[in-house]
Amino acid sequence: MHGEYKMPGGKLVVVDLQVREGCLRGVQVSGDFFLEPDEALHAIDAALEGQSADADEHLLAAAIRAKLAPGVMMYGISPEAIAVAVRRAIDPHLAHQGRDA
Amino acid sequence: MTRTLWHDHDWHLIHTAPQSPALHMALDEVLTHEVGAGHRPPTLRVWEWAAPAVVIGRFQSLRNEVDAEAARSHGIEVVRRVSGGGAMFIEPGNTITWSIYAPLSLIKGMSFQEAYAWMDAWTLEALGELGIKAWYQPLNDITSEGGKIAGAAQAHRGGAVLHHVTMAYDIDAAKMLQVLRIGREKLSDKGTQSAAKRVDPLRSQTGLSRAAIIDHMIATFRRLHGLAEDTLSPAELAEAAELARGKFSREEWTADVA
Repeated sequence: MHGEYKMPGGKLVVVDLQVREGCLRGVQVSGDFFLEPDEALHAIDAALEGQSADADEHLLAAAIRAKLAPGVMMYGISPEAIAVAVRRAIDPHLAHQGRDA
Repeated sequence: MTRTLWHDHDWHLIHTAPQSPALHMALDEVLTHEVGAGHRPPTLRVWEWAAPAVVIGRFQSLRNEVDAEAARSHGIEVVRRVSGGGAMFIEPGNTITWSIYAPLSLIKGMSFQEAYAWMDAWTLEALGELGIKAWYQPLNDITSEGGKIAGAAQAHRGGAVLHHVTMAYDIDAAKMLQVLRIGREKLSDKGTQSAAKRVDPLRSQTGLSRAAIIDHMIATFRRLHGLAEDTLSPAELAEAAELARGKFSREEWTADVA
């Protein structure tokens, strides 16, 4: 499953994942954003792994925020934007409803 | 750490014969480290390309961004760089690329947005002298009335900032669109319908040769910030060659984000 979200004024966030037994598996976040340090990407993927496929954007963003080490810097991306891309991957029809963030 | 200004630094220039895409990736890692460690003065490196390449950003998905089969059929090497941002389609005569390696003190206290504009203020001045009214379009594009000219990316490593820029001198948009997968979502807030139309290269805007534009850019940097001729040391080159072989040519790195 594949979701994309262009954060307004920011960069593209892409999420590839699978849903197994109601949980997110094999989550890969990618895109043309900026992140310091670069290992933070793996922490973001890990924060989403195993989350319920029913989790809403607010909950997903909070899960990402909780896993980010102090001092991580994001440019053109945010936990909320990643959460939108996750929801779009799970519910592809969301992408056609315009800005649902 | 207090904020430093461009003139506080003794800037050096490296502009060598064409090098392979993987070696360019490795040189960015090595020279950023060397400047951060204080082993090398702050440096402007102008790239010359030995081969065509797609350079994807640190966080981009290899399979989502690149049509591997099309890249292979065109003989285009795919490499991943150390900084974030988007994919660049490189053909040796078509792009003008440089890196600036500077102590983090040069951008101390700045927002990301301010730091990008600060590192390219000289670029906008140089383009203005060529008759191109260019400006920064946040987050990381340099654009003009005709369209996008360049994209920049920064990475922070061990006390140094790497700021590199690729400008489009000319572009084979048809080939680019065969090799890069550029989706509609990415363009959704750009107000344009196609990636090809977004770019207006320097060749059509200036009528100058690529070499003449590079000479002019270097002269502008030298006038504004000072610039001494330099070369890569044998140790820097050896370390970069090893990294090019052991990291930047390897699938583990290039497909790190699959």
